[in-house]
Amino acid sequence: MHTDKKRTRIRLRLPALLLMALLAGCSGSGNAQGTSEDGRVLVTATTGMIGDAAREIGGDHVEVTTLMGPGVDPHLFKASQGDIRKLDRAKIVFYGGLHLEGNMERILEKMAQQKTVVAVTERMPKDRLLGSEGSEEFDPHVWFDVNLWQTAAESVRDTLIAEDPANEAAYREQGERYLRELEELDAYVRERMLEIPDQGRVLVTAHDAFGYFGQAYGVEVVGLQGISTAAEIGARDVSALRDYLVERGIQAVFVESSLPARSMEAIVAGAAQQGHEVVIGGELFSDAMGEPGTQEGTYLGMIRHNADTIAEALK
Amino acid sequence: MMDFWIILTAVLVASACSILGCFLILRRMALVGDAISHAVLPGIAIAFLMSGTRDSMWMLLGATAFGLLTVFLIQTLQTSGLQSDASIGIVFTALFAVGVLLISLNAQHIDLDLDCVLFGEIAYVPWDTWTLGGTEMGPRAVWMLGITLTVILLLVGLFYKQFKICAFDPAMAAACGIPVLLFHYLLMGLVSMTAVSSFESVGAILVVGMLIIPAATAYLLTNRLGVMIGLSVAVGIVSAVGGYLVSYLLDASIAGCIVSMAGILFILTLIFSPSHGLIVKFARKRETAGVL
Repeated sequence: MHTDKKRTRIRLRLPALLLMALLAGCSGSGNAQGTSEDGRVLVTATTGMIGDAAREIGGDHVEVTTLMGPGVDPHLFKASQGDIRKLDRAKIVFYGGLHLEGNMERILEKMAQQKTVVAVTERMPKDRLLGSEGSEEFDPHVWFDVNLWQTAAESVRDTLIAEDPANEAAYREQGERYLRELEELDAYVRERMLEIPDQGRVLVTAHDAFGYFGQAYGVEVVGLQGISTAAEIGARDVSALRDYLVERGIQAVFVESSLPARSMEAIVAGAAQQGHEVVIGGELFSDAMGEPGTQEGTYLGMIRHNADTIAEALK
Repeated sequence: MMDFWIILTAVLVASACSILGCFLILRRMALVGDAISHAVLPGIAIAFLMSGTRDSMWMLLGATAFGLLTVFLIQTLQTSGLQSDASIGIVFTALFAVGVLLISLNAQHIDLDLDCVLFGEIAYVPWDTWTLGGTEMGPRAVWMLGITLTVILLLVGLFYKQFKICAFDPAMAAACGIPVLLFHYLLMGLVSMTAVSSFESVGAILVVGMLIIPAATAYLLTNRLGVMIGLSVAVGIVSAVGGYLVSYLLDASIAGCIVSMAGILFILTLIFSPSHGLIVKFARKRETAGVL
């Protein structure tokens, strides 16, 4: 036995040492931490929505990378090897907070001891956040209230100014422009929602990501699933939602880009059996934006797409 | 430094799991790791209901309690005469169901799934440091897993003979006056402790994979337990290091690459093993046919 143990220990040590030498070569080739080769501030954001704000406000002075691409559900995000480097190199890391990033949040909080790590929801007034009763937990899908999301953009702007004061004027100017665009977007969504008759202004989706949207724009939101995308859907949830559709005479339900459409299709079929026609009104972007390069690949385009899709299907 | 900590963590998980995996395979309980990864759900739910937060200390506490309960129940069912696969299946599905029930009754509007609140991710290990009195002591996971591995080495080293006889021939062990049940519970307790502490630092798939694949690979190469443990640890470490390099080249999930690497090593062994390999078996069959 003693020889076995000794052998185990030697086996443990040798490859570790070899590898240290090997990887010193791999990771030694990076740039100085925090800035790109042409001197731009390196910014890493968790979700596309946050990255978009940083890109708009930072303009040419920053290089923004996002961890979660199109169609990625932030609750179920799995980091790849390259993501370590993205986080490690960045001078500033922006994230959503309110437990949007799940377990990763604990790491981001720790990382704050080493670099600037900012939760963009940090400054949002608590009384505007939706929570569940009797606990400190809040719904993290704040970007659907465009007005509230402006405070996130302000957080991004102020952090950039603090970290890169040389370009303060540019950040102020681009921030001003972006906030104005958000204001226009807010008014646009409000307007489109008013096109829908009061009785039918009900948004039925697979999971409760649209709470803030409902609160901000006077839309009743009915979700099939709880907040977590991993919770099981109960049989009663499905039939209760079907009965609700039939009763209220709702014309359309919506599927989401980051979730499979199956359960919604089941409900449409269920309602049809009871003689009530419901259509799938279209696909909404919930936890992630569309492909980069398309209209929906930006925050503004994504919200606009959602508002248009909902308004067209329900009015 | 980032790479070094991640590899060290992976090596520690691989070593701890590969040692225990050997005993689990011999006792036909390899899936107990997977069972624990599901059965801790009610522990998480109860910890949340009691504390009202998703703080990792509480989650770990709940998971540890239910990890131990899981292996205790599995062992008890098995001792009472049920097959080991059936006892594992019953305990973990039942406990998992209780967890789902608790969450759907009490915490529907809270994101309370294992992936979010308990399972860690090996990529984040370097940032999750432990500070003691103002000094940074390095990643928490390395400490936790290092201690776990030390405990395993100590206990398995001290009681090697007892563990060995209990794994191969419990009846004989009992005849020799070894408290078989005690050692069964001890082994399962070690597995539970290792599994839960590793889940928290590196996630489920890596732990479940490392508990089974290296030990199964070693099983195909030798008939001696001591050698099997050594080989199993070697396979675990090679997978950890090799898998990490692959994940670097592919920019892919680290745990995914490590377990895939272990899978590839297993398949190679299955084909080429000098004692149990497919090629050798095929050759032997032809030889026998030739004689006839």
